[in-house]
Amino acid sequence: MAAVSTIPTARPEFTLSRTGVVWRALAALLLLSAVLALPLLADTTWNQRISLAAIYAVIGLSINVLTGHAGQISLGHQAFVGIGAFASAFTVSRLGGDFLIAIVVAGLTGAALAALLGLVALRVTGLYLALVTLAFGLTAETTVFNWRAFTGGGAGALAPRPPLLQTDMAYAYLCLGVLGMVLLLDWRLVKSKAGRAIVSVRNNERVGATLGINATAYKLLAFVISGFLAGLAGSLFAHWTTVVNAPDFDFQVALLWVLMAVVGGLGSRAGVVIGSGFFALLPLVLPELLEEIPNRPEFLGEATLHVVAPLLGALLLLLTLILYPGGIGQQLLPFRRWMAGGPFLEHRGHGAEAPPEAASATRKPDAAAPAAEEPAAPEPSPVEAHADPYVGSHVDEEVR
Amino acid sequence: MARLLEVRGISLRFGGLQVLGGVDLDVYEHQIVGLIGPNGAGKTSFFNCLTGIYQPQHGVVEFAGNDISGLPTHKRAQLGLARTWQNLGVVRTLTVFENVLTALHQHAGYSVFSGLLGLPISLDRERVLRRDAEEILDYLGLRPYATERVGDLSYGIQKKCDLAMALASDPAALLLDEPSSGMSPEEAHQLGGTLRHLRDSLKLTILMIEHHVPLVVGVCDYVYVLNFGEVLATGAPAEIQRHPDVVAAYLGDGLEEVSDASA
Repeated sequence: MAAVSTIPTARPEFTLSRTGVVWRALAALLLLSAVLALPLLADTTWNQRISLAAIYAVIGLSINVLTGHAGQISLGHQAFVGIGAFASAFTVSRLGGDFLIAIVVAGLTGAALAALLGLVALRVTGLYLALVTLAFGLTAETTVFNWRAFTGGGAGALAPRPPLLQTDMAYAYLCLGVLGMVLLLDWRLVKSKAGRAIVSVRNNERVGATLGINATAYKLLAFVISGFLAGLAGSLFAHWTTVVNAPDFDFQVALLWVLMAVVGGLGSRAGVVIGSGFFALLPLVLPELLEEIPNRPEFLGEATLHVVAPLLGALLLLLTLILYPGGIGQQLLPFRRWMAGGPFLEHRGHGAEAPPEAASATRKPDAAAPAAEEPAAPEPSPVEAHADPYVGSHVDEEVR
Repeated sequence: MARLLEVRGISLRFGGLQVLGGVDLDVYEHQIVGLIGPNGAGKTSFFNCLTGIYQPQHGVVEFAGNDISGLPTHKRAQLGLARTWQNLGVVRTLTVFENVLTALHQHAGYSVFSGLLGLPISLDRERVLRRDAEEILDYLGLRPYATERVGDLSYGIQKKCDLAMALASDPAALLLDEPSSGMSPEEAHQLGGTLRHLRDSLKLTILMIEHHVPLVVGVCDYVYVLNFGEVLATGAPAEIQRHPDVVAAYLGDGLEEVSDASA
C-alpha cells in the first residue's frame, strides 16, 4: 500500500484547510529563518551567548532523555559534560586530533561513563538513585577532573578551535547545528520503538517485560544516549571557552541543569530548549538589565545583582511545580497542537473532554461498541483516507 | 492435541508464607483453560511465576516443549507468552493507539540504531506497525477511542486496551488475569464471544483467571481450581460446578449466589 503522508490531524473531527497548511508552513519557515538569522544579526557578545544557550539546550535534552523519557534522575550530570569537555580538549591539544574527531570522542566518552553509572543505577530507584548519581558526580569531580595528565590541573586544559570556527558567529552556527541534530535524534527516539520501550519501562518495568521489552537494556540505552549528548555538549563547551577548568563542572551546575529541564518541561523538546536557553542567559543578562534601572536603590549593589538570577531560578522552579507541572512545554501545548495540524484551542465537545459515549455517538456507527460480539476477521483497513490520524501524540503532554 | 504449557511442581514462598505448594497444570493448544479459586489462593502469583516476574523456589515451566523456567520475563514474552493484568498494564498518559503501538515492540523489525537515525527501513516499518495497530483496534472495536488518552476512558475500555496490547505481541498463549472484572454482565457475555473467536479463528491458547462463573462455564474447555496454593480439583466446567470440595471451598452455599455476587 502506498504510503500517503497527509498532514496529521490531532482530532478526527478537525479537518485542515489548504490555507491552514500554508499558515503553518509559513510559521515554521519564519521560526527557522529567525533562528538561522540570529547569529548574523548579533554582535560578538551575543554570539557567545547564543552558543552557550545552545550548549545548555543540548544538556537539557540530555537530561530530558534520562529524566523525562526514562524517569531516572541524575544529579551527577556534570561528570558527563565535564568528561566530554576534557576528552575533547585532550584529543585536540594533546593528541593533535581533528575537531570533528574530538567532538565524537567526547560524545563516546560521555556515553561510556554514563553506561558505567547506568550499570550501578539499574539496581536502585528513586531516592537511592539520586544519591548514587550525586555520589558519582562528586567522585568524578574529585578524581578524574583532578587528574593532572588528563585535565591539566589548575591551569586547565587548552581546547583551541579549528581555523574555520575561530569567530564567535561561526561557533554559534556550529552550536545551533549540533542542537538541531540532537533535536532530530530526540524526535526519532520518541517516534521509534526505542522511545516507546523506554516510556513503557518508565511506566512499569514488569508490564514492559511481558511485552518483550528488555527493561534493563532500554534503561541502559537511556543512560548511554543521555551520556552521549552530555559529552557532545561538553565538547562544545570546551571549545567555547577554549580553556577548560575543573571548577566549571561543580555540583551547582548539575543542579541548575536538572532545574532548567524541569522548568522547561520534561518530555517537551521545545520547552526544554527554551528553559535551558533561559537559564543559560539569565545570569549573564539579568545583571545588565538591573544595572540599567534608574535611581537603583542602595541595597541592589554590584554583588546583589548576581544573587538575583539563582533566586529567580528557584522561584520559577516553585512556580512550575505548583502551578504548571508540565513547565514551559505545558504553555506551548496550543502552539504544538496547532503546528501538528490541529486547532489552536481545544474546545469541549471536540472529543477531548467529551465522554467516550458521546464521542462515539457522533462517529460512524460501524465503529461503535458491538464489534466485540461478533469480531470481524481482521482485514487491511482502508487507511489512505486518514493515513495518520493518531499522531496527536500525548507523549509530550505528559505531566508528572 | 499438543501440550503448549506444562507446569510441574511450582512452589513459591515469600519468607515464611507458602504462596504456592507444588502446582501442576497443563494447557493444550487451542484450548481455553480457566483458573479459579477464592481470593488469596495464589492465582495471580501463579501467573507471575509463569511469566518470570516471580522466581519460584521449585518447579518447572515448559512452553512449547522448551524449559523456560530460568528465562527472564521479556525472553518468555518473545517466545509467545503474553498476559494481561488485573490492575491493567496500560500507560494511562498515552493514547489507546500509542499503547498498542508500544505493545508491537517485538515486531518492530528494525534495530534501535536505525530507528534513532531515522533510516528508511525504520520509517517503512513504522508505517506497517501503525497499520497493524489499527487492525488490532478494529478487531476489538477500539477505533473510536484510538486518540483518547487511556486514563480518560472507562474501565471496561481500558481493559480492552490491555487485551489489545497482549494481542499485539502476537502470542501463542495468552494469560488473562480476570478479564471480565469491572464489566457489566452484557460486556462479559461479549467478552466470551471474543475469547471463543480468539481460540477458534486465531488459534490462540488461553489460560485465564476468572471469577465470573457464567463466563467460565461458557467458554472454558477445562478448569483448574486453586485453593491455598494447591490444586483442589480439575475437570470440565460442568464437573467442577458439582465437585463437592469446590462447592465447599469456593462456591459456598451454591452456584447462584456466587454468580450473583460477581455479576
